[in-house]
Amino acid sequence: MSTQSVLARLPFGRRATLQQREALAGIAFISPWIIGFFIFTAGPMVISLGLSLTEYDVLRPPTFIGLENYQRMLGDPRLMTSLYNSIYYALLHVPLSIIFALSLALILNNVGKAAGFFRTAFYLPSVTPAVAIGTLWLWLLNPRVGLINRGLEVFGIQGPGWTTDPNWIKPGIVLMSLWSVGSTVIIYLAALRNVPNDLYEAANIDGANGWQQFRHVTIPMISGAIFFTLIVNIISSLQIFTEVYTMYFGNQTNNAAASAGLFYNIYLFRQAFEFLNFGYASAMAWLLFVIIMILTFIQLRLSKRWVYYEGG
Amino acid sequence: MKQSVTLRRLTQFATVTAIALALVAVLAPVQAQDEISGEVNVMGFGTGDEIATERVDLFRETYPNVEVSFTEGALDEQQFLTAVASGTPPDAVYIDRALLSTYAVRGALQPLTQCIEDMGIDMSIFRQAAVEQVTINGEIYGIPDFWNNIYLMINTAAVEEAGLTLDDISTTDWDRLTELNEALTRIENGRVTRIGFDPKLPEFFPLWVRANGGQLLSDDGRTAMLNSPEAVEALEYAFSQHEPSGGRAEFMAFRDTWDFFGSNNQIVADQVGFWPMEQWYMNVLADVSPDAPIAFKAFTDREGNPISMATGSAWAIPTNSANYEGACALAATMTSTEAWIRAAQKRAELRAESGTINTGVSPANAEAEEIIFTEIVGPTGNEVFDQGIAVLREVQEAGFAIPANPAGNEFRQAWMDAVNRVLNGEQTAQEALDQAQAEAQAALDSAWSRQ
Amino acid sequence: MSAITQTRTTYAPSARERARNRRRLFFRIIYIILLLGFTVIFIAPFVWLVSASLKSRAEVFSPDLIPDPIMWQNYIRVWEAAPLLRWLGNSLWVGLLAATTVTLSCSLIAFGFSYFRFKGRDTLFNLVLATMMLPGVVTMIPVFMIWQSLGLVNTHAPLWAMNLFGSAFYIFMIRQFYLTLPRELFEAARVDGAGYFHMWRHIALPLTRTALIVVFVFEFKASWTDLLKPLIYLRSPQLYTLPLGLKTILDRFGQGGEMEWEVVMAASVIVTLPMIIIFFLGQRYFLEGIATTGLKG
Repeated sequence: MSTQSVLARLPFGRRATLQQREALAGIAFISPWIIGFFIFTAGPMVISLGLSLTEYDVLRPPTFIGLENYQRMLGDPRLMTSLYNSIYYALLHVPLSIIFALSLALILNNVGKAAGFFRTAFYLPSVTPAVAIGTLWLWLLNPRVGLINRGLEVFGIQGPGWTTDPNWIKPGIVLMSLWSVGSTVIIYLAALRNVPNDLYEAANIDGANGWQQFRHVTIPMISGAIFFTLIVNIISSLQIFTEVYTMYFGNQTNNAAASAGLFYNIYLFRQAFEFLNFGYASAMAWLLFVIIMILTFIQLRLSKRWVYYEGG
Repeated sequence: MKQSVTLRRLTQFATVTAIALALVAVLAPVQAQDEISGEVNVMGFGTGDEIATERVDLFRETYPNVEVSFTEGALDEQQFLTAVASGTPPDAVYIDRALLSTYAVRGALQPLTQCIEDMGIDMSIFRQAAVEQVTINGEIYGIPDFWNNIYLMINTAAVEEAGLTLDDISTTDWDRLTELNEALTRIENGRVTRIGFDPKLPEFFPLWVRANGGQLLSDDGRTAMLNSPEAVEALEYAFSQHEPSGGRAEFMAFRDTWDFFGSNNQIVADQVGFWPMEQWYMNVLADVSPDAPIAFKAFTDREGNPISMATGSAWAIPTNSANYEGACALAATMTSTEAWIRAAQKRAELRAESGTINTGVSPANAEAEEIIFTEIVGPTGNEVFDQGIAVLREVQEAGFAIPANPAGNEFRQAWMDAVNRVLNGEQTAQEALDQAQAEAQAALDSAWSRQ
Repeated sequence: MSAITQTRTTYAPSARERARNRRRLFFRIIYIILLLGFTVIFIAPFVWLVSASLKSRAEVFSPDLIPDPIMWQNYIRVWEAAPLLRWLGNSLWVGLLAATTVTLSCSLIAFGFSYFRFKGRDTLFNLVLATMMLPGVVTMIPVFMIWQSLGLVNTHAPLWAMNLFGSAFYIFMIRQFYLTLPRELFEAARVDGAGYFHMWRHIALPLTRTALIVVFVFEFKASWTDLLKPLIYLRSPQLYTLPLGLKTILDRFGQGGEMEWEVVMAASVIVTLPMIIIFFLGQRYFLEGIATTGLKG
């Protein structure tokens, strides 16, 4: 963006200078990202797009095969299964985790100083290594002796086969993921603390009750944080990998999850590193990328309706 | 004038040097042990027990000028792949024989012909099936290390309770096997509390196919045979063995509760009748429950011959390895008869000291195996395990392996997934294997064509 | 559900207010009970992990809470089996570098995307968002090649240096916080003659301290628990970080398929514990940060 073009576009000479300075300064602040983008993102992305048009096993030079990978994808039943699994999981996990995290954050916000201890407790799972989480939950979800079903027994409910019934594999994984909502809780808590008190006082004076305050003060003021976690959670849900891999695809020979637990990234990883089909894996990655992009842009568009910014 | 004289001098000098070097090369074909030096970095080998450390010690003593280091732990394919792709592979790699050809065919590993010649390794002392697994187009790419087999492990208390004898236990007659399974299964309050017979699906699917007279892959490694009638029948049969327990889900839920490695394992706790298992489990049993009611027998095919699926790793050298001679020396030493014997002796010593049972070790080096079991591993004082060792030796001869093929993982996943689909009730055996056949053949064709 | 955190009374409460205070106390007690309940659920698996780490091999999966006998030896075995202190140091060092660089760079970059208005800003930001969506696995090999060509494989650099260039996730998050700051604050400063850097440093940064602390903690944790990058880039054991070390322990004690779970559990606890301590100490600071920033009028 040259000085001339900026100047040429704006009608007022004086404001042009200010606008131009502002633009340059803005870009200066952003410059680290731009540099990193070209080196570590754009370049590799172009390479991976190129790879998706080839057959490549890393050990030998790639062979160009045009759109064959994409055609294969259309006829690959496992690809469809894995996509279905990831979407199903995301649809289940995202709303549940946001509601759960928000509830926790609201409660935490209301207990003042005691929150510190609880906060650590809720964040603890996020700090546990993924390998340990996977191993742990494989045992917790065991239908006969796992804590979950034993807990349910106390209430007289016979728990389902979380690890042995293909229909319950994904819900079991959702349960495991809900255990790690700590990060989201913290983000909401930070956002809640940022809501100026005087807004609540004003609402109080106007006679608003708790629920109304929640709907008309709290939610709008933290809508930015909710929006953020919504997008981020969808993106990461569609890419879940390590824990599930540890539980069902590492050295285990558990089979209930062979189809039901085959998430998109797991299948991608398998194609890349077990089958050495990097070209195909790259094509898969690009498909996921496109899906995520579309979803995010839809949300961004919709966000203008319900997300509130004060200084944007 | 001056230039041409210098030039001539140079040429003379060069020629003399060349001849001298050639003479040295010709006259000293076997490298002296002190000459092999440098570093050898190995990926994929763990030095966690005495079988590993003793052999490594032998290597260090024989080649004092070589500094060998290990990236501990099982081979991580991701790590290996990125190392190879970036042009800085490890100097040597310890890799599952079933995976080796995947990398060999793609040029990531180099042939060991020169190495075998230099070190004077006699490949005939190794189990031929193991050697075949690592031979591509007539060239050998790995020196086989272990030769791990499978046989039946039997809960004799359950057998007695059902009014049977050990002789009755056999996998030859499949109708009879079903009866045995039903007789040994115990159901209480509608839930299974003892599994009669565990067919070990999906892992042992190749074993079942072999038992039924078929095989999953042609000997040349190019044609998949996943949906042959023998394979389909084998899958259907093995799958049906879950019925007495109430179906696969019930079966698995129960099996997951076993204290597999503990002293209250499934034999002690009377949770299983009998089942085929990898030989290392015999070691576990010897350690944690040597007095349990166990017996061992060979798994037999439908003709009555003992068969076993043999697995293990091999020592290989990546292309662009920085120290071919060092890696070669390592491979040769680790798999040498001398090394195995030393390791077995150490194991015998340690076990005697701690009062635990010594079940020996099973190298793919058949010469070493013979010596180990005739001279080092003696009667253990525990009849049960003596019998187990006898069975172990019996099945060493009967081991088979899936032929070398460059689509290693993809091939395996194709049939694994097919078996899983059947286990989960998603498809019939025929449908599942038809799909697997198509996938596997496509993978094989693609991998072989780009050789 | 009341969202008020503090009430100031400078006069004697009326009957209605007393009733309201009682109600608030009642709710507060309910909340604490609920929280305790959830805490138990959240901590239970971890308690079980610690308990399993102290059990003998035979007992590892038994449901008893207190192990009998208590196998402290498991921890000693892990300690002896591996250079844990070294790995701890590595993880700490890399984590601090990663967290510090990303917090600084992202707060700068996010400021560029929030306060400034220029053509193409939103498009560029959408590009930032887009980069969040690319699955990391795909760029892995090309990025590895880049580090390889710089000669920095088998050093710690690839584990944190990319944070110098920001990270879409945190840029997004910090930007959200910046956007809640009223523009007038900055305009006022500018009228007083402040430069852009000054505005960032003395207005934006302090006011979003909460978010920055959150970013720091998150990135530290992400770096602490990351397995993939160390796995690919580190070959010398003395450079390993804790998760990679944990993996080697897992592999080592799993040789021949014999999973010595109790050792693996012990190693997991050791790997997780420092992070918990750091977090617990750090979040007291966290609390202060929230208290000072949240309640300005």
